[in-house]
Amino acid sequence: MLIVKDLHAGYGLSEVLVGTSLTVKAGTVVALIGANGAGKTTTMRAISGLITPTRGEVLLDGKPVQGLDASRVARLGLAHSPEGRKVFAPLSAEDNLLLGGFRWLPRYFGFRKKAAGDLARVYDLFPRLAERRHQLAGTLSGGEQQMLAIGRALMSRPKLMLLDEPSMGLAPVIVQEVFRTIRRLKAEGMTMLLVEQFARAALEVADHAYVMERGRIVVEGTPAELGRDERVLAAYLG
Amino acid sequence: MLKRLLLVRGTEILLFALLAAIPLAARSPYALGLLTLLAIYGILLIGLDVTVGYLGQVNLGQAAFLGLGAYTAGILTTRWGVGIPMSLLAAGAVCTAIGALLALPALRLEGPQFALATLSFLALTTTTLTELEWLTNGSQGLSLVRPPLLGVTLTPRLFFWLCLALLGVVWVAMRNLLSSQWGRAFEALRDSPIATDAMGVGTYRHKVAAFAFGSGLGGVAGALYAFNFEYLQPQSYVYELTVVLLLGVVLGGRKSLWGAFVGATLVALLPNLLSNPALFRAFAVAGFAMALVAGVRGLVRRSTRPFQALAPVVAMGVLVLGSFLEKNTEDWRKGIFALMLFSVVVGLPEGLMGFAAKALARLFRVEPPSLPPAAALDEVLPAMTAGAGPLLEVRGLQRHFGGVRAVDGVDLTVRDGTIHGLIGPNGSGKSTLVNVVSGLYTPTAGEILLRGVPLPRGSLFKAAQAGVARTFQNLQLFSGMTALENVMVALRGAYRTPLPLVLAGLGRTEERRAQAQALALLELVGLGGEARTPVKDLTYGAQRFLEMARALARKPELLVLDEPAAGLAHPDVVRQVEVIRRIHARGLTIVLIEHHMDVVTELCDVVTVLDGGRVIAEGRPDQVKRHPRVIAAYLGHPGTEAGEAGPAEGAPAVS
Amino acid sequence: MPFSIVAQIAVSGALMGLVYALVAYGFQLTYATSKSINFGQGELVMVSAFVSLTLINTGLPYWAVVPLGLLFGALLGLVVERTAVRLALEQKSEGWILLSIIVGLFFFSAAENIWGRDDRPFPTPIPSAPIRILGVEVTGLEISVLVGVLAIMGIIEVFKRKTLMGKAFEAVSADSDAARLMGVSASHTVMLSYALSGLVAAVAGILVSPITTVGPTMASAMILKAFSVAVVAGLDSGFGVVLVGVVLGALEGLASLYIGSGWREAPGLVLLILALAVRPTGVFGKSVIRKV
Repeated sequence: MLIVKDLHAGYGLSEVLVGTSLTVKAGTVVALIGANGAGKTTTMRAISGLITPTRGEVLLDGKPVQGLDASRVARLGLAHSPEGRKVFAPLSAEDNLLLGGFRWLPRYFGFRKKAAGDLARVYDLFPRLAERRHQLAGTLSGGEQQMLAIGRALMSRPKLMLLDEPSMGLAPVIVQEVFRTIRRLKAEGMTMLLVEQFARAALEVADHAYVMERGRIVVEGTPAELGRDERVLAAYLG
Repeated sequence: MLKRLLLVRGTEILLFALLAAIPLAARSPYALGLLTLLAIYGILLIGLDVTVGYLGQVNLGQAAFLGLGAYTAGILTTRWGVGIPMSLLAAGAVCTAIGALLALPALRLEGPQFALATLSFLALTTTTLTELEWLTNGSQGLSLVRPPLLGVTLTPRLFFWLCLALLGVVWVAMRNLLSSQWGRAFEALRDSPIATDAMGVGTYRHKVAAFAFGSGLGGVAGALYAFNFEYLQPQSYVYELTVVLLLGVVLGGRKSLWGAFVGATLVALLPNLLSNPALFRAFAVAGFAMALVAGVRGLVRRSTRPFQALAPVVAMGVLVLGSFLEKNTEDWRKGIFALMLFSVVVGLPEGLMGFAAKALARLFRVEPPSLPPAAALDEVLPAMTAGAGPLLEVRGLQRHFGGVRAVDGVDLTVRDGTIHGLIGPNGSGKSTLVNVVSGLYTPTAGEILLRGVPLPRGSLFKAAQAGVARTFQNLQLFSGMTALENVMVALRGAYRTPLPLVLAGLGRTEERRAQAQALALLELVGLGGEARTPVKDLTYGAQRFLEMARALARKPELLVLDEPAAGLAHPDVVRQVEVIRRIHARGLTIVLIEHHMDVVTELCDVVTVLDGGRVIAEGRPDQVKRHPRVIAAYLGHPGTEAGEAGPAEGAPAVS
Repeated sequence: MPFSIVAQIAVSGALMGLVYALVAYGFQLTYATSKSINFGQGELVMVSAFVSLTLINTGLPYWAVVPLGLLFGALLGLVVERTAVRLALEQKSEGWILLSIIVGLFFFSAAENIWGRDDRPFPTPIPSAPIRILGVEVTGLEISVLVGVLAIMGIIEVFKRKTLMGKAFEAVSADSDAARLMGVSASHTVMLSYALSGLVAAVAGILVSPITTVGPTMASAMILKAFSVAVVAGLDSGFGVVLVGVVLGALEGLASLYIGSGWREAPGLVLLILALAVRPTGVFGKSVIRKV
């Protein structure tokens, strides 16, 4: 589904990624773990086109997408739920979700009717959002905003979802709920690339995992393999 | 040294000598008029360049100050018979004062709003000059006679020399100002206003002072303008003139005295250029050729975007066509300005002199004057002995963003002379907490005391003045400067020479001392050899160390290090631990936000753990590491995800 | 001075103020998507009016000219976006301020040379005979301004709130990176906003021309006041511009009545500088949170 080869990217003159490569197979969940500043978020941003890689390849469904604008990549079926959630604060929760479906919904009229089925599915997944559908997204709590961000990504009917730190700044109870959702999506066959600082929790849902250090992948394997790796154990799994 | 004197000062002296000599050779009054105008515009544009170049703001009000200065001089001489020196002073003073008054509200704005405010000021000035008929004679205009100077009747030639001399004085004063702390402050506030404030150099007050200064120069130029033309009309100082002045600065090259001069030449000569078709055609063709060459080169080297390369060619092409097809080029004056300005702004953003300066710098390498030896560390960072009491007390601190409670009731006491660690998961409120303490955010509720005294709230500048210095998680260095200059900007108490003396060039001794002090701090963090390296050429690790040196230049009571090891390679982390130890050995109190647990364990006396905007644990590092709630929320042992805390979010971290 | 005259002048002024509000609304449209505004917007108002006048002079009926004039305004908006704004936005610089002034200057010069410097009447089928409403005389032209301004702003607001494209517009304004992740092309949205802004300028030109006549300088005073309105109201409040525009228009009328006609422009400018001193983000604007 997603193949990343020798990706280089950064901000301004400082290069954050120095040759990252990874693969996400269809129907699997892949976790990307590593310390703060290792380049996980930059990897996500370079994949989805928010920043332009300076070198390397990103293949989505076999199609090269590196260098395309993020909006083009999104319309090809990649949904990126960004770090810090980035909901549209001045819009209502429901409008946020509808915008999630921008890539396939009619642009002017009749989009509500067409989106009804998908909306119902998201509300079924997150009943709290249904209650708050008319509330402005900026006034939702952190946990609700995270659900909204995931729901918004789902609305695009994605082939592949990137979830960046879905647990960031959330209370443990909410984190559990987020991970329950991820498991449920996995059971439904969603392909996901997950960046998470709770390495252990991430490894529990993942089929495969990569460990990043200073802009490149240093270890990869199944969660079981990583669990046996001395270094990974010491550095990330406490 | 000699080479430097010869190349830099020599060309300047040569320029002024040449200009001064022209009237001796050519006696045409027409040429003399042009030269006089050139000198006046030179002063005006140097003033405009202060805002446009050094502050980086589009200023549409300079024509207004020209007008205000002209009318001040005109009214003073016609009504009260005031002489030239006093009129010049008064015009400068009036415009400086009005400039300051305008800047106070206007410079709280940025970009478009600032441009709009200055534009409105220009319109208001024109209205006022027209309507205050009892004072200005309204739209009929004000006639005046150039008064004698010290009993000498000023012939046009003498008057030109007066203007040229004043331009020389302004030139030298401006250069002195720019090579002092003021110049560095201007540079700094454009690169990072946040860091400028956090380093105790008030962004706002420097901006206001700079704008007022530039306006004052506009006033002086205005007075000369009045004495030159001896007739004033409000309609002369309008939008179109402002645009022409901007054209001068941009075309000549921003942030450059030479640029202002070249721009002034152009502005003064432009009307003549347009009235002579043959000359104009030649000029247009030359411009077209330049654009073509530059465009093709840019495209071949892929250094410019296609639009950037092609648009000037098209614009200049239109100009060439127009110059052959259209008879009345004067009617198209504005359109011609527009095409030229467009080509320059798009294709040559740094202006003619900016472009030339680069080329010249490649040809002649002029070494900067050598640095003094580093000062003793005791002079820069006197060793402190810890008092008994707490240094920093935070009580019931809250900071909410919309519905999100980033900091939700934090109590924290930092004892004097300790290294106090602050840890917690991403978004737990650590960064927000230090942002509130250092004055970036105003607290929603709660108290912050430094040595028992309330710390100023919501002002980085005031908090810095009160003794808090900080580094930034996402580096906020002044990227256009060298490592040494970055530290020099922040040096506390190093610059005491008053502004007039600085302008007169008497600030050099303290400048040397500041260099020596800054060098000592660079050596402390291990960057002694990189003093002259531009920040953008430093490695990422070196940049982190430089931020520490810069914060130390504040001689702070409390040093806040916001994730100093983020993104550092292991050897750098080790070095950093050493450096922090060395700093701590001077008796400094440090608050350290850090993710590397081993760094925290090694350095910190006390660690506070935040989660969901609240304190969940506090104690010695080894105690905290065993605390069950810390393990659950942060360290992540098996069987995680228990605990309790409200939802929260902090400033996002970059990874 | 009799109250009826004061009321009369205030009402006429307020109706003119609606035109300022409309132009200021044009600034808000582009500011929302790109944090940039067209400093040459006044020239767009003027050139659209001239083009419409030319079309009318070719014999086309007024009601056929209006849509063509609006289309032309939208096209001009796109020209401004392409020549003055896009490059600067890509480079994240503020070059667009200068460039949009420059492009405006070029339009001005072109208009001077193509249509001449004189003011010309703009024929319209809307009656100019006054009607008395509550003791105040209002002309049909003034009513057309009221209806036209509120209608076009209403239509655009409905577009923004009720269509997905309009919501995308607001999404770009709220967080352009996140909007791109939804598949919304930020650059297309910016283009759309400039086209709309140009269209709004054309509406202003067509509405105001019959009252003020058409000439190269017809918009130079208006644009300053529109700037004031935009800054005083804040660049993100559609409701605010209408209110501030109406108040400013009325104040202007009163200023010329009490202080002298030469001072017409003063209230707007003073209001602007005062408002900035008190609330830099505008009276109805939102405050911003600094991030490090």
